[in-house]
Amino acid sequence: MTTERLLPEPDEQSAPFWTAAADHVLTLARCARCGAMTLPPDVVCPRCGSTEPGFEFVPVSGRGTVRSWTVARQAFLPGFEDDLPFVLVDVELTDQPAVRLIGRLLDGVDAPVRLGAAVEVAFEDLVPGVALPAFELVP
Amino acid sequence: MSGRFAASGQVAITGYDQTPIERHADQTLGVLAIESARRAIADAGLRVEDVDGFVGSSLLPTAGSHRIQDGVSIVSPTWLAQHLGVDPRYAVGFTGIGQIPGSVALAANAVATAAADVVVFQRALHNPPRGRYHGNSMKAAAGPQQWTAPQGYFGPLAMIALPYNEYLQRFGARREDMAAVVVEARKNGARIPWSYWHDQPLTEEQYLDSSTLFDPVCRFDCDIPVDGVATFVFTSAERARDLPHPPVYVAGYGMSALARPRLPLHWPLDDILDGGAEMARRLWSHAGIGPEDVDLPQVYDGFSPFVWFWLEVLGFCPSGEAHRFVAEGGIDSDRPGALPALSGGGALGNGRMHGIPQMLECYLQLSGRAGARQRDANVGVACHSSPHFGGAVAYTRDPT
Repeated sequence: MTTERLLPEPDEQSAPFWTAAADHVLTLARCARCGAMTLPPDVVCPRCGSTEPGFEFVPVSGRGTVRSWTVARQAFLPGFEDDLPFVLVDVELTDQPAVRLIGRLLDGVDAPVRLGAAVEVAFEDLVPGVALPAFELVP
Repeated sequence: MSGRFAASGQVAITGYDQTPIERHADQTLGVLAIESARRAIADAGLRVEDVDGFVGSSLLPTAGSHRIQDGVSIVSPTWLAQHLGVDPRYAVGFTGIGQIPGSVALAANAVATAAADVVVFQRALHNPPRGRYHGNSMKAAAGPQQWTAPQGYFGPLAMIALPYNEYLQRFGARREDMAAVVVEARKNGARIPWSYWHDQPLTEEQYLDSSTLFDPVCRFDCDIPVDGVATFVFTSAERARDLPHPPVYVAGYGMSALARPRLPLHWPLDDILDGGAEMARRLWSHAGIGPEDVDLPQVYDGFSPFVWFWLEVLGFCPSGEAHRFVAEGGIDSDRPGALPALSGGGALGNGRMHGIPQMLECYLQLSGRAGARQRDANVGVACHSSPHFGGAVAYTRDPT
């Protein structure tokens, strides 16, 4: 039996992020006060401390570098058994170096990943209307 | 502001109890807890009615979807006081980061400020009988989990795998080097009668034959979930001198918490090492000692890479060198001149008792109660959790 993959549940604040992701566009939350970009958006801006950051999700390039990775060979959540093994990468975004994302490396377990490898965002289409940011090595 | 603990050497541990550490105990956790507390209070030469303070942390450290019930899957300080029939002046649970040093800080501060005269600190750990320990049946990833769980990034193995691999890659270490950490923990744990791993050392071959779960983490890099309870009794140094066992004094402590927001379970290596270095500075200034004074460091090892991280942030070996230091026998408890950093077996050698094995080894060795394992030691440091997400307590044999 194949269990379906776990889906993100958008909330009022994150909904624009997931709407853009469904169109394969990566966005970050930009503070209306200081312009710093962050993810996930908090109740305050992590840079200027504004409690009224007025975050707006803006498209970014999605390019970055690999800071670490792991190959998952066991799942603790339902829905991942059929995907094992898979690679997860810890990516520092060029668009805003303080922001780190963790996503699948779609190149697979045999890809020549290393610290500092250049990657760019790609998307996993989970079900119609839901896509998840992931990464691919830049050749 | 010097950062020195105003009550350094003025609060002491004066008795203890440790239950057998089992995969699944026959008795309910609350029963183990009550019996452990009664034994510890008697061990301290005191009566239950002498106790007027209870501290502890009741976190069940799992990512799994388990039902939490006080007295069954956790034991809170209030529950324990009620079930011992005590109406304490002071009963508080620690909910911050670093459950063991945090609880010890509450106990020491309470005694030092006369909020209580005799404080029982207890940690009760439970292994739920049903379901995988970290297995979670969530149907949708909401809140903070929406950013990581749909990718399959979930649970503490994934959490530690990223900084562990980052360390291997950055410093040219190998998974093979970690065998020395785990073999050392299990060697020492095998000598401890109450350990889950009593008489069960692990060989390097067994370690290396184990397949990885989240590369480079294999199951032997993780402590095993258990049922077990440990209790310690704190009182003033003055009162402790009239009690049966040699007191062990709290010199000071250092705490850490994440310095910046991160994704759930995301612990980049630099956060661990930089945050840990700051925590170590706090520890040394609070306790009025430095790494050169410590002859009994007990580093935390709930996941094996923490051993490397702690050795480096506490200054026992240079940055990026811990993997070599350990592989070359640097923490071999049987080698004269080595640093016995896992002599108490740690969590890998006892079971998932959080930072209790580290604290207990400091207490037993510094009070001269370690029996056949007795070492000559004056200053111990008991570490818990990650260096950037936990803390450490310095203990001394003399009240200096």
